[in-house]
Amino acid sequence: MDSMPTTEPYLRIRNLSKKFGAFTALDTVDLDIMPGEFVSFLGPSGCGKTTLLRAISGLDVQTAGSIHQGGRDISTLPVAKRDFGIVFQSYALFPNLTIKDNVAYGLVSAGTPRIEIDKRVKELLELVGLPEQAGKYPAQLSGGQQQRVALARALALSPGLLLLDEPLSALDARVRARLRGEIRDLQQRLQLTTIMVTHDQEEALTMSDRIVVMSNGRIEQVGTPDEIYGRPATAFVADFVGKMNFLEGRLVTSKRADVRGAVLDFSEEVPLAEGAAVTVCLRPEDVVVRDIGEHSHNRLSVQVGVMEFIGNHFATTLHASGTGLNFSADFSINAVRDLGISSGATIEVALPPKRLRVFAQSRSATA
Amino acid sequence: MATETLILPDHPAAVAPLRQKLGHDDWIMRGAVVALGLWLIITVLLPLWALLSKSFQAADGRFVGLANFQAYFASPALADSIWHSVWVSLLSTVICVLLAFVYAYGLTRTCMPGRGLFRIIAQIPILAPSLLPAISLVYLFGNQGLVKWMLFGASIYGPIGIVMGEVFWTFPHALIIITTALAISDARLYEAAEALRASPRRTFWTVTLPGARYGLISAVFVVFTLVITDFGVPKVIGGKFNVLATDIYKQVVGQQNFQIGAVVGLLLLLPAALAFVVDQLMQRRQLALLSARAVPYAPRPDATIDRAMLAICSLIAFAILVILGVSFFASIATFWPYNLTPSFKNFDFDMMDGGGWRSYFNSLVMAGLTALFGTAVIFTGAYLVEKTPRFRAVRGFVQFLALLPLAVPGLVLGLGYIFFFNNPANPLNFIYGTMAILVICTISHFYSVSHLTAVTALKQIDQEFETVSASLRVPFWRTFMRVTLPVCLPAVLDIAMYLFVNAMTTVSAVVFIYAPHTTLAAIAVLNMDDAGDVAPAAAMAMVVFATAAVTRAIYMLLTQGYLARAQMWRKR
Repeated sequence: MDSMPTTEPYLRIRNLSKKFGAFTALDTVDLDIMPGEFVSFLGPSGCGKTTLLRAISGLDVQTAGSIHQGGRDISTLPVAKRDFGIVFQSYALFPNLTIKDNVAYGLVSAGTPRIEIDKRVKELLELVGLPEQAGKYPAQLSGGQQQRVALARALALSPGLLLLDEPLSALDARVRARLRGEIRDLQQRLQLTTIMVTHDQEEALTMSDRIVVMSNGRIEQVGTPDEIYGRPATAFVADFVGKMNFLEGRLVTSKRADVRGAVLDFSEEVPLAEGAAVTVCLRPEDVVVRDIGEHSHNRLSVQVGVMEFIGNHFATTLHASGTGLNFSADFSINAVRDLGISSGATIEVALPPKRLRVFAQSRSATA
Repeated sequence: MATETLILPDHPAAVAPLRQKLGHDDWIMRGAVVALGLWLIITVLLPLWALLSKSFQAADGRFVGLANFQAYFASPALADSIWHSVWVSLLSTVICVLLAFVYAYGLTRTCMPGRGLFRIIAQIPILAPSLLPAISLVYLFGNQGLVKWMLFGASIYGPIGIVMGEVFWTFPHALIIITTALAISDARLYEAAEALRASPRRTFWTVTLPGARYGLISAVFVVFTLVITDFGVPKVIGGKFNVLATDIYKQVVGQQNFQIGAVVGLLLLLPAALAFVVDQLMQRRQLALLSARAVPYAPRPDATIDRAMLAICSLIAFAILVILGVSFFASIATFWPYNLTPSFKNFDFDMMDGGGWRSYFNSLVMAGLTALFGTAVIFTGAYLVEKTPRFRAVRGFVQFLALLPLAVPGLVLGLGYIFFFNNPANPLNFIYGTMAILVICTISHFYSVSHLTAVTALKQIDQEFETVSASLRVPFWRTFMRVTLPVCLPAVLDIAMYLFVNAMTTVSAVVFIYAPHTTLAAIAVLNMDDAGDVAPAAAMAMVVFATAAVTRAIYMLLTQGYLARAQMWRKR
């Protein structure tokens, strides 16, 4: 492959809106997807992620706006004139055709010679790790195997774009975790531009190059999994992805807030007037208990509440002494063991200013 | 919510939404939906319209407003038949639904022995023309009837005979609806009732009956419509007791009074249309009763109830078998009941009125063609209506047309066919008097139930097959032939069998439009009975029954044997 970074996006979405009667399912969405990128659309049901996928595939064309794929305007093209492979949650495998015939389905219609079809089917089944199953019917395979057949079928015509619509939702947890890695691996080997719709944040975080978090038909944030998790752009993203403490307070300076009597510093400047109502966001796992001495800011003396054993960590609620501040914290097993943390004890913790996110409280409709 | 920060003052509201370009598939599918719509307009809507307009016209075609209706209601004999029809239908409905409920209860809610056999016996009446029970009743209770004394001097020719015949003929229809309603009940409700120590009687009144109420209401309307629009039973056994259905026949076939015929036809359309609406509503609610998490009810043995139900169901099954048996013995006896030597004399149809054996072969051809073309048109049509992307208004209208025949009694449809196709000004006039019109009329007559069967099957398969095919650039018709059709094969065979059996036994629609060289077996039964050849009429009815029964048996073998092998992919 060319090592020069391509700056031209493979998929360019501009001003995309979709209305169903009075309901706005997509509200002027702009999005660029780079060649070879794995992008997830993440959000709660009804956020517009599926609508966006259906617009890209041409199943439900948008009310307004444009979509360009590989430089070609596909905004109003019928499904069959577009270039994508698709895998559904239900797999939609043809139950009366063998695995081989399922995978070969598009090739036969394309008029590919039989020898080449056989070769390509073999190749594809090997690619998805099912070389032995060609003669079976879909019902004879497990859910995970069916999913891989669906993937092979979608890849048969070497599409420029792969669309995955909640591809793993119908599988049990163990198979899901394994397939996550396999799909991601395959996508990287093929350098195939891929869009996945999911409501499962773990899936989005583990598989994607970038995640598009959506709510109410709008894009809340586009970013790498790291950015989405560590630097959520809005309170919605902070709430939707991972666990989060939402602490209400007032701004003292642009880098400091009074949160129920506790004064917290943060490294990011907040462009709001003094006294403005803000929400300070803190992930439970960002509460530091070890090597407290290294932290000069936001050190709090706290009382430990009930310790809940989750398996790989403890979850607990901390009460900052002398203030009205309560927040939840996750402690690793070995920290609890080493420091002898127990319910009712008073310990010292630090909240690293870098890890605090502060939002204006205007969107407090959720509170 | 925070106040909107972005309010565009003069938003260009008039921007038209984007329209997707139509692909090949879209053009073909839309074209086919439109073609189906036109077909249904010609074969259902226009004949009905012809009937409607005829009722407002004088014999010469002048518009006369309600004059025909006035003339009809002014004639006391004719107005009487409305009252006759209504009370006879009500009585038949009450008796039939009660019996069917008890029978269905026995089949679904008890452990009485022989339930499989009882199920099969109950289906017998569907396989025979409605004339058969009437003929049997004449043999049993008629002037020379075997057990005439059982009526204590009352005459079978009239309401008694009509009610008995109709109950027999409509029994399976009511049974199917009520069995379905009773079968889809939630066992958890019964467990809850038991845990709360409700007595069996209280459980019956508070759980069983309410659970089946939509099915019961639906059955009442369906049976009432079947009875009030049936023509076979009152024709054979009604005597001088006039009802609406025989009035139509007399007015149109006997007196060529098409205008009054049209008026009666419209009157018959009312209960049928009402039944249609109620049935649709009830079915929706019945389904809603069953939540996805419901546990199917499994009856437990109870010696007392099982024995009681066995006794009652045996009695009902016995009655059905007797009625069938009487026709059977009457047809194979030389001269029943005086000379019981078996003979095939009564099967020598070529010596009687009614078209002879040719009628039977006509019926076979007609039923075969109806099954073949009907299944093709109806299944493909249902597929198009279900799967054509967007195009909502047209699809909705075609769907309405497909369901319309359910609200149209056969007699009314047949009458509409005369008015529409027999009109010399109609360019389609040439099919009048041919086999084609019989086939087309029969397909239309039984369109809706078949359409619904197809739609149900299509809804059960994965909705994304078409999307996947389109993304693989496979044309829709290829997926239809290679995937949809094979996967829906059981439903397709179901439709074909339904059409075949009904085409064999139907009288009501085709009685108006057959020609001398296209007489049908069921019509031959009618004509032979009319001419006094009752035993041959019974014989022909038995031949029709045997044909339908054999078809049904072949169908069952097919679905269990060959189909099971051809559909290996269904197995895990």
